[in-house]
Amino acid sequence: MSLLKLEAVQKRYAGPPRGRVVLSETTLEIEAGELVVVWGLKGSGRSTLLRIAAGIEAPDSGTVRFEGRDLATHGEDLLGGGLGYCERTFRCAEGQGVLEQVTVGLLARGVPPRQARLRAQRALERAGADGYATQRLGSLDVGESVRVAVARTLALEPALLVVDEPTRGVDLLERDGILALLRSLADEGIAVLASTAESTGLAGADRGLVLNEGELRGAPPAELATVLPLRRAAAWRATG
Amino acid sequence: MGAERVREQQGSMQSPVNWALLGLVIERESYAYKLAQRFDRTYEGALSLSSTSHVYTALRSLLDRGLVEEVPGSGTGRQPKPCYRATAAGLEEYQRWLVGQLSEERRRQRLFAMELAALMSEPELARAVIDGYEQECLREASKSTVGRGDGADDAGSQLAERLASEENRLAVGARLAWLQYVRSELRAIGERRPQGR
Repeated sequence: MSLLKLEAVQKRYAGPPRGRVVLSETTLEIEAGELVVVWGLKGSGRSTLLRIAAGIEAPDSGTVRFEGRDLATHGEDLLGGGLGYCERTFRCAEGQGVLEQVTVGLLARGVPPRQARLRAQRALERAGADGYATQRLGSLDVGESVRVAVARTLALEPALLVVDEPTRGVDLLERDGILALLRSLADEGIAVLASTAESTGLAGADRGLVLNEGELRGAPPAELATVLPLRRAAAWRATG
Repeated sequence: MGAERVREQQGSMQSPVNWALLGLVIERESYAYKLAQRFDRTYEGALSLSSTSHVYTALRSLLDRGLVEEVPGSGTGRQPKPCYRATAAGLEEYQRWLVGQLSEERRRQRLFAMELAALMSEPELARAVIDGYEQECLREASKSTVGRGDGADDAGSQLAERLASEENRLAVGARLAWLQYVRSELRAIGERRPQGR
């Protein structure tokens, strides 16, 4: 069973241009430990696809299943509980400090403060953002903000990380560090679904997909059937 | 001897191996056997030497054209090995060659576009080619290395790896965007075509 499965998903934009199909009979399967990146031109519907995959937005028709459960009925339980959607923006009300921002989601889920702080610190470390844990959000550059945003999602220990345009606006020489982070998360077994408007953002992906005029195209998951077990075994050997 | 004079006398140098080797000599002067090692590290997967002696043949050609010169090495044997250094003409010609690569690349892409246009009257065939080409672009972009080229042994090779990776990714991006345009053209042709064909 795939970790995430979109079947015959359809979505039209309600606003102008009227009735434009963003997703047409879209099917997508993602396995644990797979890094899938969707490339598309501006307005192609990349963000919509990711929001639907994360259960934030509902499709007009079709189903989205995470670990076999339909997001239409279990979406609220799954988002933040196995399914992590990485918001790149921060809410000021949730604190101005980096550590505060990463901790707040855990506290909201009832994690005791001491444990929440430890988990937040570990997540920051994992995202390569522990160096600025004590800084204020306003002092971070774009790349650092992305790492903090990823850490905030990682703190919730997701099985799938959905991240929209992780490298947008990131300094050119820092960009590959973000991509390498996503690659390493996938190598550890977390499935990652990301989007990009720049082909440079496809680097390191197990599968690159193109979204254009409602059609999602790319290598079928079958091609990965032989690659992923080998990669996971290599990652296991490296950590074990 | 000036670069223009060299070209006039010997014609333009065509061998990519010779040009790549000249680039390494420009990066820093080296002994021939060191150049062979650096060549393998830097151009792995893009260019290869037929044998180690290929380096000597290429260096001879560069020497004859005045693009490199021999300087005494630090060895103390009876036959001290020469070190190779780029001449001013070598630098000038190398610059010209690099800039010229763009027109060669453009020529190949233009040729591909023209060949594809020939298929536009057969939309199914054209779509299959576009799908296949798009898949290749995606594969190419995905397999690019991320990181700082730390797999390479020296700073020069690491930089070369990073520059090549970035160039490849950006070029693939332009092709992916171009393919979306080709699809739009193809669809428009299909809509204009009388039914029944």
